[in-house]
Amino acid sequence: MIHPQPVVLGELPSLSKLYVNAATAAARRRVLGASSGKKRLPAVSHEVRGVRADVENLTAYQHLVGETASDTLPAGYVHALAFPVSISVMNREDFPLPLLGMIHLRNRIEQLVPIQFSEELDIRSWAENLAGHRAGTQMDVVAEVRSGSSGDLLWRGVSTYLAKGVFLPGIDKPGSSNGASGASDFVPPNPTALWQLNLDTGRSYAAVSGDFNPIHLSVLSAKALGLRGSIAHGMYLASRALADVGAVKSDSFSWDVTFEAPVFLPARVALDITTVQAEAGTWERSDYVAWNPRSGRRHFAGSVVALA
Amino acid sequence: MATADVTTDGPLEPTFGPQSTRAAVIVGGNRIPFARTGGAYVKSSNQDMLTAALEGLVARFGLQDERIGEVAAGAVLKHSRDFNLTREAVLGSALSPETPAYDLQQACATGLETVLGLSNKIKLGQIDSGIAGGVDSASDAPIAVSEGLREILLDLNRAKTTVQKLKIIGRIRPKDLAPDAPNTGEPRTGLSMGEHQALTTAQWKISRDAQDELAFNSHRNLAAAYERGFFDDLITPYRGLTRDSNLRADTTLEKLSTLKPVFGKNLGSEATMTAGNSTPLTDGASTVLLATEEWADARGLPKLATVLDGEAAAVDFVHGKDGLLMAPVFAVPRLLARHGLTFEDIDFFEIHEAFAGTVLSTLTAWEDEEFGRTRLGLDGALGKVDRAKLNVNGSSLAAGHPFAATGGRIVASLAKMLHEKGTVNGRPARGLISVCAAGGQGVVAILEAA
Repeated sequence: MIHPQPVVLGELPSLSKLYVNAATAAARRRVLGASSGKKRLPAVSHEVRGVRADVENLTAYQHLVGETASDTLPAGYVHALAFPVSISVMNREDFPLPLLGMIHLRNRIEQLVPIQFSEELDIRSWAENLAGHRAGTQMDVVAEVRSGSSGDLLWRGVSTYLAKGVFLPGIDKPGSSNGASGASDFVPPNPTALWQLNLDTGRSYAAVSGDFNPIHLSVLSAKALGLRGSIAHGMYLASRALADVGAVKSDSFSWDVTFEAPVFLPARVALDITTVQAEAGTWERSDYVAWNPRSGRRHFAGSVVALA
Repeated sequence: MATADVTTDGPLEPTFGPQSTRAAVIVGGNRIPFARTGGAYVKSSNQDMLTAALEGLVARFGLQDERIGEVAAGAVLKHSRDFNLTREAVLGSALSPETPAYDLQQACATGLETVLGLSNKIKLGQIDSGIAGGVDSASDAPIAVSEGLREILLDLNRAKTTVQKLKIIGRIRPKDLAPDAPNTGEPRTGLSMGEHQALTTAQWKISRDAQDELAFNSHRNLAAAYERGFFDDLITPYRGLTRDSNLRADTTLEKLSTLKPVFGKNLGSEATMTAGNSTPLTDGASTVLLATEEWADARGLPKLATVLDGEAAAVDFVHGKDGLLMAPVFAVPRLLARHGLTFEDIDFFEIHEAFAGTVLSTLTAWEDEEFGRTRLGLDGALGKVDRAKLNVNGSSLAAGHPFAATGGRIVASLAKMLHEKGTVNGRPARGLISVCAAGGQGVVAILEAA
């Protein structure tokens, strides 16, 4: 595809400032009762060059999600590294949807080449595919991570977000076929793992990922945004599942996750991982699904698949 | 209930003797550079470092998805949650998850003992391949709650009623809240390892100059080995380190001579042990791949050396009969005698440098006529180690000493040196390893070029 015009930022934007900005914008909209009035995604991308992982932060991330502290960046860590660039796109004045309260529906990542922690990375992000959803409006935020030295594409992520209850003029709601109707048919298998998530799970992941979205931090801050309690970060859950798949996976792989019922903290989460091997015994893919062991409601499901 | 039947009908002869054993070959090794405590690996756990060293070994020898006969490793400073440290590292690696593993702990001899244990299993035909290793972190050391608080918490766990619980909580005193950090002190004497060695150093009248010179040689030899690329196929970088961070390639005897003594300051004699001629606390991990010749051949892998034999010894150090770190002095003559060897038959001596004083006390004891007669049961002195054959690629004073990782470092390096040397006077080149350990123990081994 043709990349939108890049805006090069001097450094990684501060997520806390972006969230404060977003909160101010949300308050302004509430007071003035007006939406942004825009109905198109900005035709720009944001780019930050020469980004390098902080090794202490990397180690803390790896330990939190259950990865061994190796020199290779976990695919979910790269997502966290690119996240401020993506949020800065979604925080633009001309962005048509409100950042706060956005729901993460899906995430698809392609880890094309393993990334060493010492590599300099160029990160670019933009939004595309604005579309209607039965509950509001959705769009994709794309992030691409390239080697600072060779320019090769190393990692690509597409995050699909939903602005619930926001309907933009001129964008049609899809038919009911696009809804997540499969959830009610879900029959939990026997779990292969059971996670105990404490109340501070959201704060711990915020500390290593920088994602201080208030819905994850405390019961009070989550209630302020209309939730009945704080919820675990989707990418924390997916990253733990990826860590659970383990070292068996190949160097290049795709990793996708679809989020369903949020995980309210504290929680017990049941997980099943099914690994498929090729005839030669090499790893082909691992599919995972997680659910609430009491209610049987599905929290998320996805797969990690070897890339040829 | 069945009772043990001590009478047997059959013959008591063993079905096979030592002659029927196979050779255990060292294919190669991999370690991560050793880092001074609080340095590059400050936040890395033992499991992280052992996995990093193991993953490097897997990559070097193409062991992805390979089911290894057994993996044995250990750590000296170990968290209680790491009860299955080695198995967890295997599960975190690209080895087949069907590879069994066990943890072993014998203080600083842990690494060498894992090599000997797996070699024996290979020789006996129990396994065809094995990975030995060790890891230690002084940075990420376990800290326990005080003994008082531990007992209270356990009682609290057993209490059934609220009244019982409150009563138990009321027993907590401020002193119970002070944590219990590990130290290198001997439980029975209260002396640190350095203080113990200071006693031995003084007993054997080892001079400050001789200790500084040994330390200087260690740095010089290790730096030279790095310069000529000796470690290129023995080390994989980790956390930005490509060389042991303790190495001071530019150190001089003058610089070493200016350091103030840190151990033995309360002895009657002059204090001679400094931070320069003692090993610092270090973080790191090492691994060694062992196999039968057939297993290595089938995969086209190198055969650097064979593990000929090993011997453990212990000394009665508690009331000072022998120095804490002097057990190898007794193990080496027993091992040599078993194979009819003398120092003349050894081409490389790898004597772990816990302290320069340890190495020099050991050498001096072996050169001592009376000690040889009265304590080693020989006709005279055991012999003189040719200094040109001693720790020729540096040792722990320069590289550092992450306790359980030192054995693997020495075995892999020595195996490579022996392979490079090949044969000496028509026989395979031979190397002797000596590692002292806490608790008055020591483990020694002989390797031969394959």
